[in-house]
Amino acid sequence: MIQSTNPPAADPESRLRPGRYRIAIAIAALVVFALIASSILNYVYLDSIPSRASLYGLLAVALITLGTYILVRAFNRDRAARRKHLIRAGVLIGLGVLLWLLIIDVFIFTQSAGPVVAAVCALACVPTTAFGLFVVRRMDRNHKEPWRLVLVAAAWGAIVATSLVVWGETVWESSAQHALVPGPGLDASLAFMAGILEELAKGLAVVLLYLVMRNEFDDIVDGIVYGAAVGLGFNFMESVSYMTNLYSIFAPEHFGEVAAGIQWYGRQVLGLFFGHATYTAFIGAGLGVARQMHGRRQKALAIVSGFLIAIAGHFSWDAWATFFPYQATFFGLVEIHLRTLIMTGPFTAAVIALLLAGIGYEGRNLRDQMEKEAASGSGAILLDEVTILASPIKRLRQRLHAFERNGFAGYLKVSRLQTAQLDLAMERWHRERKETDTPFEAEEELRRRVLDLRHWVAAA
Amino acid sequence: MSAVTYDQLRTLYRTLLVFATVSVVILSIGLIEFVYFEPPGQTSGANAHIEGVFKFDPATHDVTGPDRSQFARTEQFAAKVDWASIPDNFTVDAKWYDSFGSVEGEVGPGSPASLAAQPLVPVTVPPGFHYVLPGRYTFVVERLSDSVPVEVLGRRYVVVNRS
Repeated sequence: MIQSTNPPAADPESRLRPGRYRIAIAIAALVVFALIASSILNYVYLDSIPSRASLYGLLAVALITLGTYILVRAFNRDRAARRKHLIRAGVLIGLGVLLWLLIIDVFIFTQSAGPVVAAVCALACVPTTAFGLFVVRRMDRNHKEPWRLVLVAAAWGAIVATSLVVWGETVWESSAQHALVPGPGLDASLAFMAGILEELAKGLAVVLLYLVMRNEFDDIVDGIVYGAAVGLGFNFMESVSYMTNLYSIFAPEHFGEVAAGIQWYGRQVLGLFFGHATYTAFIGAGLGVARQMHGRRQKALAIVSGFLIAIAGHFSWDAWATFFPYQATFFGLVEIHLRTLIMTGPFTAAVIALLLAGIGYEGRNLRDQMEKEAASGSGAILLDEVTILASPIKRLRQRLHAFERNGFAGYLKVSRLQTAQLDLAMERWHRERKETDTPFEAEEELRRRVLDLRHWVAAA
Repeated sequence: MSAVTYDQLRTLYRTLLVFATVSVVILSIGLIEFVYFEPPGQTSGANAHIEGVFKFDPATHDVTGPDRSQFARTEQFAAKVDWASIPDNFTVDAKWYDSFGSVEGEVGPGSPASLAAQPLVPVTVPPGFHYVLPGRYTFVVERLSDSVPVEVLGRRYVVVNRS
């Protein structure tokens, strides 16, 4: 078993890892500073109820940030220390979430629509967002991301990113509305605001994962998964906010439920994968490509490209969606769907194309590494296992076969063995490409883990 | 590292750069749009005098009470513009926007003299609704150039309460 995945670097001269961590710490410090400044400035200058919520919410944001950091790092510790850190992280995150929900309910949603409506709206968005996260994680067919990181990404999108943009968007929007002529010019300005500020706030989560969790951020596929997860989290919180707001506006006309329902459908069904999930997935794609490029210039260009595409996609929807008006008739329902398809469809298609190409690229290289491992005679991967491991369908069949023979325990054991073998192939791939800073001992540990698991499976 | 593998990554990288180039074009079009509707150097220095926003009676088509910035949802209201405060060679209009950015009442466009008979600009109740929707309303007096609003000569904000 791996007792520690934080051994001394294989190359003592490598300054790659400390460098990454320094950047991550600097970004985290900037985020915390921005949140504090944002909340204080909101409170002092704007003095609105959401601003006060933003100020009081700082503690919740700090608790969640600290909790998620401890949670993520907990899995890199030995078993004895892991449990202690998991409990600490759970307590901190739980407190943060409760505090945050309390603040949101009391100061924002309760203000506009009442706590019951806020709770119903949030509950309505939970299954759809969960479905979105499930699908997004399943997209990585060869090497799925750990749930803890996918959920951390979604939590950042829902809580930290939304908090980060409050002040910036309030100031930008307020300034623009005081200075510009209402109409397309103002709409364009506000669309630039949403595109730039929201994508930067969401993208920071993916950047931090890229910097800190390098072992779980393998390539473009992982980047797309994390990016989409952040987008889904952001979309969750935005949906709840818009639904409650519209409910409160239209409720006096006895139209509140319908207005909130339409908003739910637009954001949680029709726009679940088309909106924020697509935009932030591009940021992840850029970081994923940068993960494997060697030149600094190419890395930087890939990252900037991801952000640019995300901002452009977000901007185009916000600025130009109104150019496709829909009638208040039955055909209007068709028009709403067509508008989403025409405006965001090309971006979603592009990110799916990148994803499919990435899955193919990853799959071919993993197969190549599995063949090399089999040829080495280590016993971790056997030659006749390569065909099975290279195919998600065949892997599933193998697990189901184990289930038939030994029930759920057998299924789990084979699943763990397959995962460990794929982990080994991935580690080999990164080492061959000279894009890992973990020591060779880590690869040996993975190999030993596969052999251990193989004994368990054989014994079962 | 095989050359084939490297090329596959380069293909992904180049695809990303192509998408980024298209994105730069999209953002540039957005900037052009912004400059078209917010052309620089359009500050005339003129200001429209908005006498106030008052409770409006649609039956008499007249306003009552003091200048206010907050109204109940059941109240209708109108802005009163002193068109004589604007140079007569301007083409102007006045509009109410609701919190969704929809126009909910307007007068013009025309010269200030031609609009002198319409000093009141009421907010209209949206079709199918009993009262105006709650939220923040923005009233603007705009100067037009080639039928495009290019400058706001006066602006007022009004909040319609939910209750």
